[in-house]
Amino acid sequence: MGTTELLQFALAGLKNGSIYALVALGFTLVYAATGVINFAQGEFYMLGGMLSVWAYADLGLPLPLAALVGVAATALVGIVFELTAIRQRKDGDPLALIIITVGGSMLLSSLARHLFGPNERALPLFSGGGNVSVAGAVLEVQTIWIVGITAVSVAGLWYLYNRTALGRAMRACAVNRDAARIVGIDTRLMVTVSFVLAATLGALAGLAVTPLTQTAFDVGPSVGIKGFAAAILGGLGNPIAAVVGGLVLGMLESLSIAFISSTYKDAIALIVLLGVLFVRPQGLLGRSGREKV
Amino acid sequence: MRRDARTLLPYVVVALVAVAVLTVPLLTADRYLLRVLTFVGVNVIIVTGMALLFGYAGQVSLGHAAFYGIGAYASAYVVVELGWPWLAGVLTAVLVTAAGGLLLALPSLRLKGHYLAMATLGFGEIMRVVFTEARTVTGGPDGRSGIPFPSVGEWTLDSAGANYWLVWGAAVVVLVLAANLVRSRPGRAMRALHGSESGAMACGIDLVGLKVRVFVISAALAGFAGALYAHVVGFISPSTFSLHVSVLLVAMAVLGGSRSLAGPVLAATVLTMIPFADAVIPGLSRSALETIQSFQEDIYGLTIIGVMLFVPGGLAAALRRVASPRGRER
Repeated sequence: MGTTELLQFALAGLKNGSIYALVALGFTLVYAATGVINFAQGEFYMLGGMLSVWAYADLGLPLPLAALVGVAATALVGIVFELTAIRQRKDGDPLALIIITVGGSMLLSSLARHLFGPNERALPLFSGGGNVSVAGAVLEVQTIWIVGITAVSVAGLWYLYNRTALGRAMRACAVNRDAARIVGIDTRLMVTVSFVLAATLGALAGLAVTPLTQTAFDVGPSVGIKGFAAAILGGLGNPIAAVVGGLVLGMLESLSIAFISSTYKDAIALIVLLGVLFVRPQGLLGRSGREKV
Repeated sequence: MRRDARTLLPYVVVALVAVAVLTVPLLTADRYLLRVLTFVGVNVIIVTGMALLFGYAGQVSLGHAAFYGIGAYASAYVVVELGWPWLAGVLTAVLVTAAGGLLLALPSLRLKGHYLAMATLGFGEIMRVVFTEARTVTGGPDGRSGIPFPSVGEWTLDSAGANYWLVWGAAVVVLVLAANLVRSRPGRAMRALHGSESGAMACGIDLVGLKVRVFVISAALAGFAGALYAHVVGFISPSTFSLHVSVLLVAMAVLGGSRSLAGPVLAATVLTMIPFADAVIPGLSRSALETIQSFQEDIYGLTIIGVMLFVPGGLAAALRRVASPRGRER
């Protein structure tokens, strides 16, 4: 295989990896705040695409405004889901919360089917068609958008986490919820914020890929599982690890298509997921999470 | 004397229900109704395993549709392609799914927390890909058709009534075995670990071993149900064993409630009937049925959330309240 072809696969891996990174960040933020895996994370990705298409095609808004509406509306769904379902379970039992997110996932995708129909829908490319040639390999302009949106989101999140009071409160909450509450941090608010951020990041990912892959009411679970595998691969609860996990997973998937076959490409992420769970459950960047009594 | 009557009552109720369930084919010749009730029986077998896993061992599986599918495909493959007898097909299904359950449970249950939910979710999706892509065994996306009816020697169960008896006979046996299990030593251990894991450990209960065994049992029951389904329906395809079905099974276990078998059985019956409401509600219009069917995912999703928020005990808690009206929790 020539270097040009290899570069082509690497670019594809970078594109998918960026998407997985955004979805993985959503998992990791909610996990840090609640200790729970949000199985509805993939639905935020679906809603980001579907609501943007709705705003663009059905409401007739210009594309940038439609994108903004789609992402904002998904963030709103995140708030509503947290306030009406997650927060209502007062004891915060993780098993119960996990099951609630499973139910929420099914409900959100079904509602999307009722509202927007069962068909696949698409958005136009953000800046028209056209490709860029990178050392002989073809790079779609939309891929630059995808990687760019991911980079800006990660930078924004880094700023929020490290340079603002809200971010410090969220980090304190992730380290020890009870201690955070004692020093006066509103831990319930932090849970809501984590859901808003998770929904926003998922929506951005869904929005960015819809021009290339189309979207439909049922795309959530499969992307959710991949983003989740990426979060586990990096190490749950650590945002940087989620991004690394996403990019590594995207590359692994791309290389498996290049060197093995495309038939089982969807299984690669899951085999990685099981492998990491069994061999190194704390993830690539995580510290040993062995619990002591 | 009163005490004896009280302890005997549950057995009498259970026996009466079992007799009532098994006499249904004598009372009706409605083949559609019998078929729907046969599906209910298949789901009752799977949900019994889910009830042991969720309600007693406190673990949730998001991949039981995969074991259901492995059982169905394994039995169909050895019977159709290798010419094995039906009973051997069922046995293969049970052994393969038990082994699969063991392989999955051993590593994931050693970890604290809810890794099993994640591992089973991943496993379910891998199997979905395998069901679609391993064409020589599974028939690919179109599935496998022409699977023969269950038969032993010359004797073939080819009527709706006979299939009903087969499935519900199996379901009753499974339920009786499960009821014995939860009353015995491992059952008490499971109840203890549901209460407090560290407390159970302090009592000398091998937590990991117990959870692994319960998971293997639940996987094997799903495989057994899959083998029954494949031969009764005669056609299987990947969509019968999707994530959607796994979530539906979770909904049944959740609605049923914890530390109970009767609750999950009732929940499985109700939730399985929803898309086939016309079988039990005579005169239900076509459009009303279509509306119900198009909203079934919403119903499942809302059921899961609603039970978790407002009735954490599920149907089991409601049944217990009926059984002991003075509201004493056992």
